[in-house]
Order: sequence, then C-alpha cells, then structure tokens
Amino acid sequence: MSMSKLVLAMKRPKSMFGAPGAGFNLVPLQVLVPVLSTLIALGIGLLIIASTGGSVSEAIAAFWDGMAGSDYNIGASLNRAITLGLVGLGFIFANRANLTNVGGEGQIAMGGMFATAVALHGAGNLPFGLAFIVSMAAGATAGALWGALAGYLKAKRGTNEVISTLLLSFIALPLVYWSVESFHLLRKPISDLSSLPESPEIPDTTKLPLLFPDNGSPLHIGLLLAIVAVVVIWLVLKHSTLGLRLRAVGLNETASRRAGLRTSFYIILAMAVSGGLGGLGGAIMILGQQFYLTSDFSSGYGFDGLVVGLLSRGSAVGVVIGALLFGFLRSGSINMEITAHIPSAVVLICQGLIVIIIAGSAILTNRKSNR
Amino acid sequence: MIDEQMAVFIGSGLRLAVPIIFAATGEMLSERAGVLNLSLDGMMLVAAFAAALTSWATGSPLAGVAVAVLIATSVAMVQAFLSVTLRANQLVVGIGFNILALGATTFMYREIFGPLSRDPIPGFAQLNLPWLTSIPVIGPALSHQTGLAYVSILMVVVTWLLLKYTSFGLAVRAVGEDPRAADKAGINVSRTRYLGVLYAGALAGLGGAFMSVADSNTFTENMTKGAGYLAITAVIFGGWNPWYTLGACLLFGFATALQFLVPALQLDVPVAVLLLLPYLLALIAIAGFVGKSRQPAALTLPFERGG
Repeated sequence: MSMSKLVLAMKRPKSMFGAPGAGFNLVPLQVLVPVLSTLIALGIGLLIIASTGGSVSEAIAAFWDGMAGSDYNIGASLNRAITLGLVGLGFIFANRANLTNVGGEGQIAMGGMFATAVALHGAGNLPFGLAFIVSMAAGATAGALWGALAGYLKAKRGTNEVISTLLLSFIALPLVYWSVESFHLLRKPISDLSSLPESPEIPDTTKLPLLFPDNGSPLHIGLLLAIVAVVVIWLVLKHSTLGLRLRAVGLNETASRRAGLRTSFYIILAMAVSGGLGGLGGAIMILGQQFYLTSDFSSGYGFDGLVVGLLSRGSAVGVVIGALLFGFLRSGSINMEITAHIPSAVVLICQGLIVIIIAGSAILTNRKSNR
Repeated sequence: MIDEQMAVFIGSGLRLAVPIIFAATGEMLSERAGVLNLSLDGMMLVAAFAAALTSWATGSPLAGVAVAVLIATSVAMVQAFLSVTLRANQLVVGIGFNILALGATTFMYREIFGPLSRDPIPGFAQLNLPWLTSIPVIGPALSHQTGLAYVSILMVVVTWLLLKYTSFGLAVRAVGEDPRAADKAGINVSRTRYLGVLYAGALAGLGGAFMSVADSNTFTENMTKGAGYLAITAVIFGGWNPWYTLGACLLFGFATALQFLVPALQLDVPVAVLLLLPYLLALIAIAGFVGKSRQPAALTLPFERGG
C-alpha cells in the first residue's frame, strides 16, 4: 500500500485543533480564531493594566519603546523571535506525528548549556566560522538527545510525552544550575569584579557574527539560520515522504506499522528533531547575544515557544508570525516592567488566555469539518 | 543528633508530601472518570495565593482555606466546561491554565504585596500533642504538623470509600472505562465527569492552601514549583489506586526532603542532584520501569452523545 493511499484510507485527522485543511470555507475560521483570540487576550491585558490604576498610555509607550524604539531594541526583539520560532517549529514538527512536545524549556536549557561548554572548551580555537558552527551543533545535538529520550520512552514504553517532556524540563533546569554553580564545571573563577554563579564569557570566535555590525543592532546571523529552518520544515512537512509518514504514524500507529513503517523510529525521530530545534534555539541565545551561561537564561522561553507552536496550527508560516508577535511582545513587556513598573506577568496572562480560547474554540472547527 | 535529624527529615518529608497527596487524590478520582487535569498545578498555585491573600486580609487561615477551595473549584469548573462540554484537548487546556495561573498570581502578588515581600501571613499552628511527641523519632515528626496535614490522609480514605462503595464511585469508574456503555445504562456521563473535575479542583485547592497557610506562612511566586505535575505523575505511578498513589506522593515528598537532610548530614551531594531527584524518580516511575498498570480506557477522550 502506498503511503498516500494509507493516509487517505485512514479516518479524517483529529489533530489538536480539529482537522487542518478540511476545506476552503474553513480557511477564514482557521485564521480568524488565532487572530481574534490574540486580540481578545491583548484587550484583557490592557484592561488589567488600566484596572491597577497604571497609565495605559504610559504603559503602551514603554511597551512600544521596548519592542521597536531603537535599532537595538528591534534587533533584540528579533533575536528573541529566532529562538521562539525554532522552538515553535519543533513543536509543529513533533505535532505532525501527533506528539505534543511541551518540554521546550528543558531542550533550550540543554542546548544552551552544551553550546557554552563546547564554546569554552575547545571550539574557541577552531578557525573562524567553524568555532560557532561546532558550538551550535553541540547545542542542537544536546536538545535532540533530550527530545529523543522522551520519544524513546513514548515509542518503547508507551510513556505519555506530555508528562515526560515536562519532567525532563524539571530535570534539565537543575543541571544548568549545577553547571554554573560548580567551579569544576562551567562556573567562572571568583574575581574582584564578580562572584556570580555564571560561566565565563565565550571566546569571540564562537560568537555569532552580527548582521548589521555598524548600527548597534544585536541582530545576528541566527536570523538567516531560522529562515532556512522555516523553509526546510515547511518543505518536509508539506512536500516530503517523511512528512507524510510522520502524519501516518500520528494518525494511526497500528495501521502504519502494518503498512510496514518503523513507527518507533519515526516517533523518536520526530521528538529528536523537535528537541534539536529547541536546543539550537538555546545555543543561539548564548552564542548570539548573551555570551555567557546563567542558570535561568531559558526562563519563559519554553512557554513562549510552546504558545507560538500552538497558535500556528501546524503551519510554518504561522510559526513565523507567532514568533515575531511574542518576540516583540516579550521585549515590550520587559521594558514596560522597567520603565512603567507594570509586572511583565501580564503577558503570561495574555498567553494563557490565548491558549485556552484557541483550545476551547476547536469545537467550532471540528464540528464544521465533520459535516 | 542523628535521631533529631531523622525526625526533621521525616517531618519535612510528610509536610512536603501533603499538598501532593491532596492534589493527587482528587486527580485520581477525576482521571478514573476519564478527565486529566494538567491544570492541577495552576489550580494549586491560584489556591495558594487565594489562601494567603484571604488569611492576610482577614487574619483567619481557615477563611483562607475556604476561599482557596472555592477559587480552585471555580477554575475546575471552567476546566470541566472546556474538557467535557466543549471537548477541548485536555492537555492543551491544562497548559493554558497553568500559564494563566502563573501570570495572574505573579501579577496580583506584585500589585498587592509588592515585589519580594516576605511578610509572614497568619497560618495554622502545629498540633504538638504531648502524647504523640513523646514517641521517639516518628513522634515529633507526626506531631509537628498542622491539622490540615491529617485532613489529607482523611481525604485519601474518603476518596477510597467514595470510589469503592458508593453509586457515585461506580458511575465514575464506568464513565472512565466505557462512557458509551455507561450512557446506555442511564449514567449521566457529563455530570459525572464535571463532578470528578470539581472534586479534583477542591482537593487541589486544599493542597495549594496547605502550601501557603499551613506550611510556609507566606506566598512566593510560582511556589508550587511543579507540585501539580508531580501529583499527576503520582497518580500514574500509583496505578490509579488511592493507596498506591498515596505511597507515590510520600516517596516524592521524602525525595524532596532530602534537600534538607543531606546538607545537615554534611554529605557532599550537589544541590542540583537533590533538586532534580523527585522529577527523575517521577520520570523513572512513569516510564514503567517499576511495573505497569492500565490507565482508565477513556482517559482524555471526550464523549459525545449519539456520536
């Protein structure tokens, strides 16, 4: 049986948000729901700011300034979007096989830690170019292994990947803490200037080259890499046998196995690629802008990336839009907290609302597609 | 000296297990009815904050517990509406609630208490029963607990009786295994599942309240630190059985309490290892390396009448 026949023979996909691409009269709804829920959530966010007696105009001004007030801020927002986009791409890749990777935070953490370790111990002496490429690859590999572990447990032991990826995040974060807290691991020696638990700065050769070194923007070549990743993931998911096979495994594992697919392999692969993209995102954070490892560098990025993935409804283009949205939102909210003294947690509230509204409105798309 | 440290270790192990026992026991019943609440952690966090705020405002920790249960049950009501009525993906909704709860409690905490406030809030006193304290090692560990800690064990018994010997328990088990057959037998599937989720919410509320007004007498941002996820893992580890689930919760509590024992014994174990130990144990447990059991057949599967 050919793969396309196999997919057609199976029931209509019951993905997380209903049937993707179930007909064109659905297209507006598929776009409308994420857009509307984002607008509603942002509106509630503004109401919350207003209700605390804070000045909404001042908050918005601070928000805007943080997002795009200068070349530096725009660059920083885009750099943030790069990591979120990679995590989001990882989410939709695994989700194509009907796997829900919610362990972005742990995968980012492992990626950042191993990229730092390789950059500090060895990669720095490699000729220019190779130095940061090897460090990035180390981060991506670490994330991939962390993701593959959840895939292995799912494929071989039937362990729910939602729970295992969550637990793996709770395991990864103390590991990063350990690495920056122990002198025989990655912690920098105590000097007169600093005794903080963090790694030394990585060698210059391992830092990602800037795209616009002249105007002070921190935007680095990770952006180009992210664009390549978007195109590759889009091609794989939409136009490749691999994409079709992942979908088949996700739709009906038993039928896929009977049709001759090594389902375990595809489950582990999907989680490895997903985690690898997260690990790459973490590596890029350290190599691109932060340049040294801290124990909480990944904080919040996992949730943000997860929401980006959820919002995109499985589309790579959707991931790009979501990553930009949350990259800029997050930068704006941090500035809002610093200058207008409004807790950035308001963005978390908006994100939670977006996820809940979108998941809750899935019944609209499900129902239509069933008729 | 060692005795004293062991007493402290056992005492803190029990104390740390209590919120997980509350949450896991309620969650176990809800899962037996077929609904998984990944939002457990969010419910506990919201409850911890509500209890702290109420106790701080009224001076009564008991009022704090009452409000916490009320708030957590309201969150559960929304969760049930989404999971049961709207048939939304239970895992995704749960994650959404956890993000929302973290944002809302952090925001309100900063707005109301101000950043980094460490003012103690009124909490429950320890029992300190003289006859109990006189037992060596275990005595002080059992006695230096608040009454609420004992309520958690009571709730395990209540839940066990409820599941095993009542018609409600029978309905819960039926809709969790085969909702269609249960429906045909005249059981109201939606109502049973709603009640299951509300029960989980109420107990998560008790667990969250315990954290702020019985254990630490303060609220800190993200103070549950994933306790809700541990509770869900304890249910899986416990094979959806109330007593085994209780055992899993105690194991996680003691694993967390090692953070206090190991430094006190001056053992050279990295703090990070102790921090990740409960989660590692949980992962090993659910990975099925310690025996496998079957989950309720209709777990996380929405039910549609006549569909």
